[in-house]
Amino acid sequence: MRINIIKAYMLKEFKELVRTRLIVMVYLLPSMILILFGYGIRMDVSHARLIIIDNDQSKLSQTLSSKFEHTKYFDTVERHMSETQALREIKQAKKDAILIIPSSFEKNLLKGEKSELGIFIDAAFPTRGTTIETYIQGTILSMAKEVLAKKGVAQKGMITINSRSLFNQAMRDEDAIVPGLIGLVLLIAPAILAALLIVKEKEKGTIFNFYASPLSKNEFLAAKLLPAFLLHSLNIFILFLLSVYLFEVPFRGSFFLYWLASELYILVSLSLGMFISVITKRQIVAVVLTVIITLIPGFLYSGIIMPISSMDGASQIEAHLFPIMYYNHIIYDTFLIGEGFASQKNLLYLGILLLFTLVLFSVGKLLLKKEMK
Amino acid sequence: MADLEVSNLSVHYKKLTATHSVSLSANSGDIIGFIGADGAGKSSLMHAIAGVIHFEGTVSYKGYTYHSPQECEKIKPEISLMPQGIGLVLYDTLSVEEHLEFFADIRDIKQDEKFLAYKEKLLHMSGLSEFTKRLAGNLSGGMMQKLSLICALLHRPKLLILDEPTTGVDPLSRLELWDILDAIRKEEGTIALVSTAYMQEAAKMDKILLFDEGKIIAQGSNAELIDSIRPFTYQALKEYREDVITFDKRSYSLAPLQAQVAEPTLEGLFFINALKNNKTLPPVEIGDKEQQESVPPVIMQAKGLTKYFGDFIADDHIDIELKSAEILGLLGANGAGKTTFIKMLLGLYKIDEGSLSLLGKDIKSADDRLELKSKIGYVSQHFALYNDMTVRENLIYFANMHKIPLDKALQRIKKYAYELGFAPYMDKFPTELPLGVNQRFSIAAALLHEPLVLFLDEPTSGVDTIARAQFWQILHKLKEKWGISILITTHYMSEAEYCDRVVLLKRGKKIADDTVANLYKAHPDAKSFEDIFLSYFEAQI
Repeated sequence: MRINIIKAYMLKEFKELVRTRLIVMVYLLPSMILILFGYGIRMDVSHARLIIIDNDQSKLSQTLSSKFEHTKYFDTVERHMSETQALREIKQAKKDAILIIPSSFEKNLLKGEKSELGIFIDAAFPTRGTTIETYIQGTILSMAKEVLAKKGVAQKGMITINSRSLFNQAMRDEDAIVPGLIGLVLLIAPAILAALLIVKEKEKGTIFNFYASPLSKNEFLAAKLLPAFLLHSLNIFILFLLSVYLFEVPFRGSFFLYWLASELYILVSLSLGMFISVITKRQIVAVVLTVIITLIPGFLYSGIIMPISSMDGASQIEAHLFPIMYYNHIIYDTFLIGEGFASQKNLLYLGILLLFTLVLFSVGKLLLKKEMK
Repeated sequence: MADLEVSNLSVHYKKLTATHSVSLSANSGDIIGFIGADGAGKSSLMHAIAGVIHFEGTVSYKGYTYHSPQECEKIKPEISLMPQGIGLVLYDTLSVEEHLEFFADIRDIKQDEKFLAYKEKLLHMSGLSEFTKRLAGNLSGGMMQKLSLICALLHRPKLLILDEPTTGVDPLSRLELWDILDAIRKEEGTIALVSTAYMQEAAKMDKILLFDEGKIIAQGSNAELIDSIRPFTYQALKEYREDVITFDKRSYSLAPLQAQVAEPTLEGLFFINALKNNKTLPPVEIGDKEQQESVPPVIMQAKGLTKYFGDFIADDHIDIELKSAEILGLLGANGAGKTTFIKMLLGLYKIDEGSLSLLGKDIKSADDRLELKSKIGYVSQHFALYNDMTVRENLIYFANMHKIPLDKALQRIKKYAYELGFAPYMDKFPTELPLGVNQRFSIAAALLHEPLVLFLDEPTSGVDTIARAQFWQILHKLKEKWGISILITTHYMSEAEYCDRVVLLKRGKKIADDTVANLYKAHPDAKSFEDIFLSYFEAQI
């Protein structure tokens, strides 16, 4: 390895990156994915559009209505309309749910007789539908409890639930999704850049400058991968700042661990990109292949959609084959939990990431030939 | 033992053998020329010697023997390879100066005074001294090749391998490239292996190797090679004979002929070789046109045709007229504006300035062209064929495009297949066929609707000498039988001889426009068309 030669080659890479504007992609793509997905993926439901048809107009029915009005979960309107008209609103996707309070709702209840509330929910998206249903039921039950308490009906022996959610007390989506996205972004972006830098020379023909000169394989790879590594190292900080300040995700763990794991993870991604560049000839093929190989498993096994621990069988095994699971475990730890280096698992996973780098890099280097195919 | 000894070298690509047990030797200061058709194995041999492809056999350079790219690694500091393709090894976004620095750096050259003086000398020789700040992407084709060459010379290689460094480059730049090469090999004692598509260039080399189907079939100096074919070369025969190849003023025959002998050219080598392999040029017969139409005397008239790409003027106010039953050659180097001009004629590019009339009709809008489409035939630079359809399917598809009834189309396809000599390949895919065959069936596709005028964009580039000869025969027969008008672009200056009239373009400007005979009259000293064009190029600086 001759440092001067590597430096000269790297200088050329930086000049090309800047002059071809590829540098914009290096910094725009990761932040863009984080922002788009960060705002775009929403699991919880808020501001569900609800119509209340209050046929009773009693004190009790109004208490119930007001319960729905004073929550962020519902955007409530009270209307006098027929059931059919209201259903029409759902069909036209103007509303998400209808609550119908029957006439003599209060009267029946006070008499101790049965009274039925009608609920219609748009369940085109089942999860969202179920969630809305639960919210509505919960609101009604809590109201019922209050009313009964006021009436002095005894509550002895009743079970009360005292729940505390850990790690994400506010149950914010951002806290659960954004750290996971970092694992996705840092898998895709460096791999694409590394693949492009090498395949570009193959497609143009400038690869002959490597083939026909005394440049060694190690020097060539260093000159190609170091610029990508350095440029993406900055993204580790950019993504951190976006998560903590834009999405207000708490950071409870060791920043050093976050940084170390991320650098290592970038190396995994770069090795993957290099491997792809060795087996492809065209830039477009390299990019599409990289995206397919990184995005799909990255998204499925990032823990964003579903925690790995609740997967079973084949998917559990598959998850362990991709590096993102290991990295995201560490990332969620640094953001939400904070065990840091004290956790055996974190250390083990760091080791596994190192192993990924070594294996991918070695295979890539082995397959890279200083000759035409 | 010679400085460079190649013995029994073979290169295989999967099933294909590109170079078949080739041997050669060269000494310091020699320039060895490689000539032969595309796919004859020239490039593969060069890649093997440069150690960039796996090969069988041995290469010995100054006593060091290598059998593989890995073993070649040790002498790579001594070697320089300039692969085929204009500006192939250059980075578009780096300037001339940055290229020289980059190539010096990756070769680990000490940038001392001696080197700087050498670098200045190279820049001066190549005429790039004034352009050191210009990005490679903005250089002309000739300048790119000169830059590639001086980058390849920067580390003073002792073995210089240049794969078609001059193809598609303007004649003046070609001469300049040659001068650099000649000076360097004398000063540095460099062995230069150079392949070329231009026979005038090959004639200047110390030794010429003729390649065919992966083998070297003839070698020697220019004089030796010409002598070797002298007994077989005659003045052109009038009539066709099966064992004789006649092309452009000369006939070639292995058996003695009752005809005047003629002075052979290097191109004759290809014909003699074809005869030795029992390959002859089948006669081209073009049947009469099925329908006759009256044709205006002026087929195409372009006045001040101009095309801008941003700040760059691709075609600068060009006036060209194509008369009825005329073969007009549009000549120029890569980037001179030939293709852009044809694309404007066809409406593939918008005309920025100037006026155009086709077949007596002024072209103002796309609708004006629509009714003319059935009268124009076009073959593009890269033969727009569908690679996953057979030749027959391709032709039927093109017939459908022109709404020719199927029975009539099939009949014509069969006729052309026979006349243009691609009948045996009808059920093959274009990718399996030699370029020459693809070229002929592209012509057939353009002729299916019996057009009045043909626009051909570099149809002969990369096609071997024999196929080119056949191709020109087809064009001449078409003109004769159909009275068709042809506008053809080419960067082979020697092909000008086969046209009725030629227009020469240089960097988007027309610099000559006259009949072939008149041009010769105006330049009595010229030995070939190359010389005539050179005088125009030099006058234009």
